[in-house]
Amino acid sequence: MRVVSVSGVLGSGKTTLIRKVITLLSERGGRAGVIVNEDGEEGYPQDFIETHGIHVAQIRGG
Amino acid sequence: MGCSLATSLVSEIKKFRRDIDPDFLFVEPSEMVLTHEMRDVTSMGLRDVKYAVGPFITLVDGPAFEVSWEERRPLILGQVEGADIVAVTRSDLLDTGRVQEIIEVLREYTGNVFQMSVTGNAGLWKVMDILYLNS
Repeated sequence: MRVVSVSGVLGSGKTTLIRKVITLLSERGGRAGVIVNEDGEEGYPQDFIETHGIHVAQIRGG
Repeated sequence: MGCSLATSLVSEIKKFRRDIDPDFLFVEPSEMVLTHEMRDVTSMGLRDVKYAVGPFITLVDGPAFEVSWEERRPLILGQVEGADIVAVTRSDLLDTGRVQEIIEVLREYTGNVFQMSVTGNAGLWKVMDILYLNS
């Protein structure tokens, strides 16, 4: 497992980038997980999670 | 980053490693977290379980850069400095000259800066290359 950090201010495109990378990874058989702060969880809806077989965990305040 | 938050993050990382062990675990912190804090905290779990750390990617909002650089420079710098790669995002909303100006400003603080936009996936393959290069 490799931990990859994606930082940036609100609206900088963190969720957009992670979702695009996950999509490409899953097309190549890669498996991914996401730990997201409380502002970002909505960026990973259930259909995206199921389509790509990912796991998403939320941390408060982080 | 506070102690309880750091502890929660380390705990989640270890849980992922033990229960799921994905190829890549992406951490999306809140906007106030600095890169050196992420480096420190994401490495803490290595005392208990084995995993790889990095790359550390920082995204800088291109169209908002002028205001951010004026008003939030310590935060932007704290995220840019120490990052393995920095991407200027939403670059398709700026003209090429302006994007290059931003990149030049940021290159004073970190080496690997490039532009990114959703349109045409500019920069996306560079991120993919770096991920696979490190894995």
